[in-house]
Amino acid sequence: MTPQEAALAVCAVIAVYAAIRVALEPDTLRKLPFLNVLSFAVAGSIALLIPHPLSIVAAAAYFVGSTLESNAIASTYAGGLDRRE
Amino acid sequence: MDSILPAFARILVAAAVCWLNFILIDLFFRLPAGGGVVGATAIGTHIERGGGAIHGGYMMGNIVSSPDASAGTLLASCGVYIAGIPGGLLATFLVFIGNRICHDRGYAGTTGAITATFIVWGFSQIGFSPAEFIAGMVIAILTIQGISHRHSSRLLAYLWKVREG
Repeated sequence: MTPQEAALAVCAVIAVYAAIRVALEPDTLRKLPFLNVLSFAVAGSIALLIPHPLSIVAAAAYFVGSTLESNAIASTYAGGLDRRE
Repeated sequence: MDSILPAFARILVAAAVCWLNFILIDLFFRLPAGGGVVGATAIGTHIERGGGAIHGGYMMGNIVSSPDASAGTLLASCGVYIAGIPGGLLATFLVFIGNRICHDRGYAGTTGAITATFIVWGFSQIGFSPAEFIAGMVIAILTIQGISHRHSSRLLAYLWKVREG
């Protein structure tokens, strides 16, 4: 097993585990840290699966997009845009 | 081609290094002091309601709401894995842009990415693969965000108290 394969196996197992925790957590705001773990695992897998310079941009774009969505969901639940800034 | 055990043992060492890198930088940039956006504050209060500690909850909310040093460490590891130090610096720039997109005025993510770039590159000179740091960072974030919010928030709150003196 190469280091890449071992790393990918770890990312894949953690991604599946995080997805299950997201599904099982009843509190919407407390789903988001589990979703954060899922995003880490998927962003890492993108770079491990596609070792091309543009996949750095792809992994970062995926990760920042996912973070912004979590940010928006949490802020909306917490009372909306007027208090965000 | 190494055997399976040394590869996984190196991933655990990488996880410990990544954990220290992002926790120390996030504490230095005062992430547990309060929510950077209202959503991060709300996540902190919900974690406290579930039996956790509020300052740990704030830090976990901030990690969710904007790329912090943990995201910087992950993306810098990806960058170094693909393209060496220039790749890590490209990842650092993307984290900086990501912070601005997420209404984050801080520099925890950017700083974490710069330090991780050089740490991961340094370890790649002594037999580690940057791929092991990608998996290590995923394990490190799992310990904080993905196992027990109650216990990890209490640990973070304790570290915050130590940092405050």
